[in-house]
Parts: sequence; C-alpha cells; structure tokens
Amino acid sequence: MFLALRELKHSKMRYVLIGGIMMLIAWLVFLLSGLANGLATDNGSSLKNMKADAIVFQSEVKLYLHRSLLPMSKLDEVKGVQGVTNAAPLGMLTVTTKDSDGTESIDATMLAIQPESFLAPKVIEGQALAANSGQEAVVDKTFKRHGVKLGDELKIQSSDQTVKVIGFTTGQTYNHLPVIFTNIPFWQKIRFAAPGSDSGIQNPISAIAVQSQQDGITDMLNQKLSGVETVTRDVALQNLPGYKEEMGTITMMLAFLFVIAAFVLAVFFYVLTLQKSNQFGVLKALGASTSYLAKNLLGQIFLLSLVSIVVGAGLTYLVAAVMPGEVPFALDNGVVVVYSVILLIVSMLGAMISLRRIAKIDALQAIGKVE
Amino acid sequence: MSKLVLEGVGKRYGEGVNTVYALQDVSMRVEAGEFVAVVGPSGSGKSTLLAIAGALLQQSSGNVLINGVDISSFSPAKLAQVRLHQIGFILQSSNLVPYLKTIDQLLLVAELSGTRNRETAVRAEKLLTELGLAHRRDHYPEHLSGGERQRVAIARALMNDPDVILADEPTASLDTTRGKEVVEMLVREAKSRGKAAVMVTHDERMLHLCDRVLRMTDGKLQEVNP
Ligand SMILES: Nc1ncnc2c1ncn2[C@@H]1O[C@H](COP(=O)(O)OP(=O)(O)OP(=O)(O)O)[C@@H](O)[C@H]1O
Ligand SMILES: [Mg+2]
Repeated sequence: MFLALRELKHSKMRYVLIGGIMMLIAWLVFLLSGLANGLATDNGSSLKNMKADAIVFQSEVKLYLHRSLLPMSKLDEVKGVQGVTNAAPLGMLTVTTKDSDGTESIDATMLAIQPESFLAPKVIEGQALAANSGQEAVVDKTFKRHGVKLGDELKIQSSDQTVKVIGFTTGQTYNHLPVIFTNIPFWQKIRFAAPGSDSGIQNPISAIAVQSQQDGITDMLNQKLSGVETVTRDVALQNLPGYKEEMGTITMMLAFLFVIAAFVLAVFFYVLTLQKSNQFGVLKALGASTSYLAKNLLGQIFLLSLVSIVVGAGLTYLVAAVMPGEVPFALDNGVVVVYSVILLIVSMLGAMISLRRIAKIDALQAIGKVE
Repeated sequence: MSKLVLEGVGKRYGEGVNTVYALQDVSMRVEAGEFVAVVGPSGSGKSTLLAIAGALLQQSSGNVLINGVDISSFSPAKLAQVRLHQIGFILQSSNLVPYLKTIDQLLLVAELSGTRNRETAVRAEKLLTELGLAHRRDHYPEHLSGGERQRVAIARALMNDPDVILADEPTASLDTTRGKEVVEMLVREAKSRGKAAVMVTHDERMLHLCDRVLRMTDGKLQEVNP
C-alpha cells in the first residue's frame, strides 16, 4: 500500500471524482433498495408484522384474502391439527371511511380479529379492543395525518355503520392502505350486508392465522382439512396483489445498476492503468513484481470503494431521516450491508481486468526513451 | 573479480526477413570502481546492451555475469530480484514516479526489496544530503528541475547499494552545464562507492570524465583509444 496511499494523496482530484461516481451509484442502489423495502412494507406490513407462521385460505381463490371465505368452524379443525400451537380467525374488507367532523374520505383495509387473539395489534395510544367491543376500532396512526383523533367516529361508506376510534397502532397497512381493526361480528355486519353474500356459510371469516413451530405444517393442514389452501406467511405476502410486480421492477433496476456499475468502474480503472503504464514499466525496471503492483492497485481500489460506499450509505440514511412520512421508504440495515458487499465485489471485479494489463507491461519500455 | 562481465553476447529482434541483429558477439568487463562510457550512433544497439547488462532483457546468445553469477538462465522473477538488489538504473527524466516525493522515491527501493525500516530511512536521508537534495526532500518530481530529477535518480540508483550502475543517456534532457554537473556527480559517487558503472551517452564532452570509452557500431563494440 506504499504506492497506493501516496498516489491517492497526490492525485486527490482524480480519485475524488471516481469515488464520487462510485458514491452516487451506491447512493442510488441504497435509495432503490429502501424504496423496494418501503413499498413491500407499505403493501403488507400487517402481514409482514403478523405473529403468524402460516395462513389458511379458502382453496382456489389464488390466496386473495378479499375473496377467501371460511366457516368459523374451521378454526377448531385447525387447532386440532398436530403441530398447531395457536390459531386465530381473520376477516378482511376494503372500505372507504369518512371522519365525522371532516370531509375527507380515507380508504382503508378493515381487518377483523378476536381481540384476545395473537392478531390483536399493539396499541401505542388509547385503548385496545375489548371482547364484544361492538362499534369500536383501533386504527393505524396514518389516520392521524388525516385529522382523525381518539374518540372520533368514522363512517363506513356504502353502509350505515360507524365506528369509534378508541386506539392507535403503528406499522399496520394492507394493500398499501392503513388498517382499521374491529371485532369479527361488526365486520360480518358490513361485509355480508347483502343477502347471499356469505354463500350460505355459517359465521363466515376470511382466513385463519396459524402459529406453529413445525416444518411442513402447511402441507399437514392442506392434507387434514378440506377446501383450504395453506401457505406460509411469506408466501402470502408475495401473493398480495401487485407485490410481485413492484418487487420485480425494482429488482430489475437494481440488477441493471450493478451491471452498469461494473462496466463504468472497469472502464475507469482500465483507462487509469493505461495512463500509468509508463510508470508501471519504471517500477518493474526497478524490480517491482507484478504481484506487488497488483496488490497496490487492488488495495487502492478497495480503499476507494469502501470509502465511497460508506459515504453513499451515510447519505442514504441522511435522506431517509428527512424524507416525508408519506413516501414509502424503509432502509433495512441487513440489505444495505449486503448491497455494499456486492458493490465492493463489483468494483474489485472491475479492477481485475486491469491486472491483466499490468502483468503484460514490460520493464523494458522504461529504458531508451526520452519523454 | 569483475563486477560485470559480458561474454560473446548477441541479441536478435524479430524473425525471418525482419530479423534485426542489435548486438553481435559483444564482450566487455567492468571492474569495481571503474566508470565506462558507451558511445555510438542512434540505433547501434547501446540501449539494448544496457538492458541486457541490467537484467531487463535476455540475450539471444552469450553469457552475462553479475558479480560472478551467470544470470543467463534466470526466470523473470529472479531477474527482477537481481535488478532490485544488484543493479542501479539511471534513465531519462521521465523515470521518477510522479506521485512520490523525493524521499519516497528512495524509500520505494527499500519498500520493493522488503527492507523498509529505520535503517533504510536513515540511509535515504543520508543519500539526499550527500547528493545535495536535502532541501528538496518533500518535493514532487513535477516541482524539481531537470538536473535535480537526475540527481534524485542517481540517489535512487544508489539506494539499494548495487554492484553495477547503468545509466542510459542520463543527460539527454539537460543543458550542457547541468549535464556536466550530473555526470560529475555520477562519476564521483560511483567511484567512491566502488561501483562498476556503464553510461551510454551522446555527449562527447563527458568522455574525459570516464576511465574508458567503448564505441558501438552496428551492434559491435570496440574500445576507443584515447
Ligand atoms: N523491441 C524491438 N524489436 C525490434 N527491434 C528492436 C527492438 N528494440 C530495438 N530494436 C532495434 O535494435 C537496434 C538497436 O536499438 P537500440 O535501442 O539498442 O539502439 P540505441 O543505440 O540505443 O539507439 P539510440 O541512440 O537512438 O537510443 C535498432 O535498430 C532498433 O531498431
Ligand atoms: Mg537508446
């Protein structure tokens, strides 16, 4: 690193520029990954944060919660299956609400639960749902941005029902919409208001969340119960409408970004090496081995990449801190580390191409030449 | 024992009709403390001779002995070691590493041979003082005059305490006065340290400073009688 450090110090401008480009690429990568994570969270944070291992849906509804209907009697059947430690019913409906003192309509996902079950959300303000709580709801804190306060009445449009907000929870969205938690009988009143919409099912619910430590519990449930399709929570998440499409687009952008980074950096390093080939000739004439020069080049690029990526990551966290709340952006530290390592590897791979060039440089070219 | 010996050395470039015989049956011997000049027209093979004597290039025929050891069959890696420990090169002005300060140009030699320590640091400082470069210790080559650069090159060539010093037109980019100063210094340092030195030059005015003069014509080497 004797040469590497001294060159970095001497040719500051040149390396600051290259480092700057690397930093911008890293920044873009981290922003995109934050957006991907943010969108994923936004789409189904209720599902992502749910303390369930598997979800039992009605069969042949493509794992769409809004189409799935199961009789409440299935709950006991599920609980009876070996390996299931706990199970809880879940109802779902997309609704439009209106604050009693406001004019703004707020779209939301209504999730119906048994207040004493493990699906009950963590309340950060106000009260939790009580059993038989009737027309009361715990809502995601996103509602606050629309001016909803504790004690407000929310009118559920296209029905004559209203609910009273008794508590706020956090990190609860579904289909990109904030969640309203109510109890199951209230939800049934709205969901099945139209005659026959329950398809004749007694005490209907949408799905059943299952807790189990056991591998292959989904297969087990599918085998033991009829008319259901059971998947792990992660599979259910990936099957949310639009989830795969959103993630696919962003993953593709990230992949291209890595490829572009590889090319841009490889070209930069190669041009730099070409420019320096006379120096490498001199160093070889003095007795420097190719491996010594290679180590210096790789060390230099490693250092440069590391600093650039760290600065890029720092900037990303800075941006995340000042980002307005509505933007679906969430940085996952693990992902940032993984992408940093990938970028580092990409830039080292770019540098490898220059190594061939260094190996080929002949010490002889230093001699017998006047500048 | 002669520090540098060439025995019947020949060098051929290219193949078939393009073959160039750059050196033909060249023999020479340089003793410790001896300063030899090589002159000759352009393209006569002077740089080729120096490259072979300096373990930069392998001859097509004949033997090269440095400090009594025949390096003819050495691998490229071993030749690099020979250059590192036994040869001091002084080339044109372009041969300093542009991003190293004067002191680091010398320390680089120690770094390459894996002996950078307190001792070599002291040695580098001492060399700079002896060659009148102490006040240029922290300058980059771009801020040195042509003469100063060549003095740094001389100091660098002496840094590894080599057996043989080889200089290819060290005054090519200097005016006469500066050139003379540099050659005088080179002669003084090489002789006082007991090095075997060979200098290629176009400048006939430097020849009186040398012990012997050899003339290269069309790849053949002849002694010039003073
Ligand atoms: N790599 C090479 N391939 C082919 N021919 C070469 C090569 N290097 C040198 N030559 C030829 O060998 C001959 C001797 O070249 P050399 O560089 O040794 O001459 P020189 O005496 O140093 O000339 P100058 O005074 O111009 O530096 C020249 O005819 C040159 O064209
Ligand atoms: Mg020449």
